[in-house]
Amino acid sequence: MEKTASQKIRLGLFVIIGLSLFVLTIYFIGSKQQMFGKTEPLTAVFDNVSGLQLGNNVRYSGINVGTVRGIEIVNDSTINVEMEIDRTVFPHIKKNAVATIGSDGLVGSVIINIIPGKGEALPVQPGDIIKSNNRIRTDDMLSTLNVTNENAAQLTADLLKITNDINKGKGTIGVLLRDSAMAKDLKATIHNLKITSEKTSKTMDNLNRQIAGLDHKDNVIGVLKDTVVGNKIRHIVTNLDSSSQEITKVVANLNTTISNAKDGKGAINYLSNNPKLVKQIDSTMTNINQASQKLNENLEALKSNFLFRGYFKKQEKAKKKAAAGKS
Amino acid sequence: MENDSKVVTSFKNFLIEIGELSYFTARFFKELFNPPFEFKEFWRQCYNMGNRSLLLVSVTGFIIGLVFTLQSRPTLEEFGAVSWMPSMVSISIIREIGPIITALICAGRIGSGIGAELGSMRVTEQIDAMEVSGTNPYKYLVVTRILATTVMLPILVFFGDAIAIFGSAMVENIKGNVSFLLYFNNVFDSLQFSDVIPTTFKTFFFGFAIGLVGCYKGYNCKKGTAGVGLAANSAVVYTSMLLFIIDFIAVFVTNIFYS
Repeated sequence: MEKTASQKIRLGLFVIIGLSLFVLTIYFIGSKQQMFGKTEPLTAVFDNVSGLQLGNNVRYSGINVGTVRGIEIVNDSTINVEMEIDRTVFPHIKKNAVATIGSDGLVGSVIINIIPGKGEALPVQPGDIIKSNNRIRTDDMLSTLNVTNENAAQLTADLLKITNDINKGKGTIGVLLRDSAMAKDLKATIHNLKITSEKTSKTMDNLNRQIAGLDHKDNVIGVLKDTVVGNKIRHIVTNLDSSSQEITKVVANLNTTISNAKDGKGAINYLSNNPKLVKQIDSTMTNINQASQKLNENLEALKSNFLFRGYFKKQEKAKKKAAAGKS
Repeated sequence: MENDSKVVTSFKNFLIEIGELSYFTARFFKELFNPPFEFKEFWRQCYNMGNRSLLLVSVTGFIIGLVFTLQSRPTLEEFGAVSWMPSMVSISIIREIGPIITALICAGRIGSGIGAELGSMRVTEQIDAMEVSGTNPYKYLVVTRILATTVMLPILVFFGDAIAIFGSAMVENIKGNVSFLLYFNNVFDSLQFSDVIPTTFKTFFFGFAIGLVGCYKGYNCKKGTAGVGLAANSAVVYTSMLLFIIDFIAVFVTNIFYS
């Protein structure tokens, strides 16, 4: 009797655990499909759903928030997709959110991704319709790939032609690769280039040293870099500037004077432009010279005259007194 | 001519067998709903078939999960798809491998046991004695056993599946550093009701087939003690074949409904 009771207990445990496993499995699958949570509908309109099926997941910013509950063809270019979204997520989905059809991994099942919109917008309400972007389909990608392939084929054909030409020694690259004389020249050129570069390097070193030496105060540039000298030079330059302005004025005045002398009717213009007058002045000067000599002679004669002798003697005495007073 | 007659005879025997099995099945349903109900014997059979098979099913399930994952890993690694392991293993085990392996084990252990037990009772005339004593041997021996296998097999399959997936998770945890939480999260992410519900229905039919064929072979055992071994053997062989046929039909019907 005891054995039977123990058997019953064990059987009961076995059945309960087994059924619990089944119920738990059903519960977890159901909860993954948002069957037990409180959900609200949200709709998106597509022109192609790319194999979307009922029960496929809906993700908002990468988080599973619901499932596809209905797919309805409205017309030839409009398919309404109704989604059941977890009610707690609604405040986070804005009206400018965009639904796109994607896939879970490279070969995974089709899913709907709701991408948050840019900028501010009000949260969606149950039953709202949100915008959608249509997915780049595999056949679109394949058609693009087809064009790319054609281009690649053309490119490889061209490359083949070029490599053939190169192998035959045609063209610049062909000659470069095939012509031994060219190769020697190239080698020599490279050798020269090497030497040149070495020399250039040395020159640069020297130049760098020279430039570094300019900083010393013994050099002109070193002196120039001294602030006191700089201030003096600045002062000199300022003076030079004002002097040049003065010179400009003087030159302008001179120009005016010269032009006046040249164009006017004064004596200078007359003197410079009339050679006869110059000759007359010359002869006049000669006459004056002769006359002054004669006058000197006459004055000497006057000094010996008794009428004027007393006057001259007084003059000499006055001079002597003045000289004695100074000494 | 002699060959032709052998073929015809075999075919006739086959048809007779099918006919008798059909009558046997019909009688089961008839006796099932007619009181009195042998609950005590039913619970005893449940315990014998369920609890006593649990260890065998658990060990087999664990090893299957382990080996399946270890064998699949290199191939999935080649494709860089190791992350798909939980999905692949769980769907394969829950949809197909778990039920069929558990059913085959039960066919070997329970089916042959029923065939041998009822066969020996038949050849030792215990069943006849029961009839004479006024007890309905069919109700007491057959209905309780078929019902017990039908009810217990799905529960054994739940255990087997759970332990196989646990075995797989253990391998992934050791070899792939995948946490149990992540593994089971991926498992339930990939599983759908369409994976679990049809397979559960299928296991009821598996259990029914194991009990039915075992009981039929044992209940109709002939040719003395040699017939007992034959009954046990043929119960396993026919049950195994029937399991695959049921499996094929179940998959076919499931695909029609879920595609």
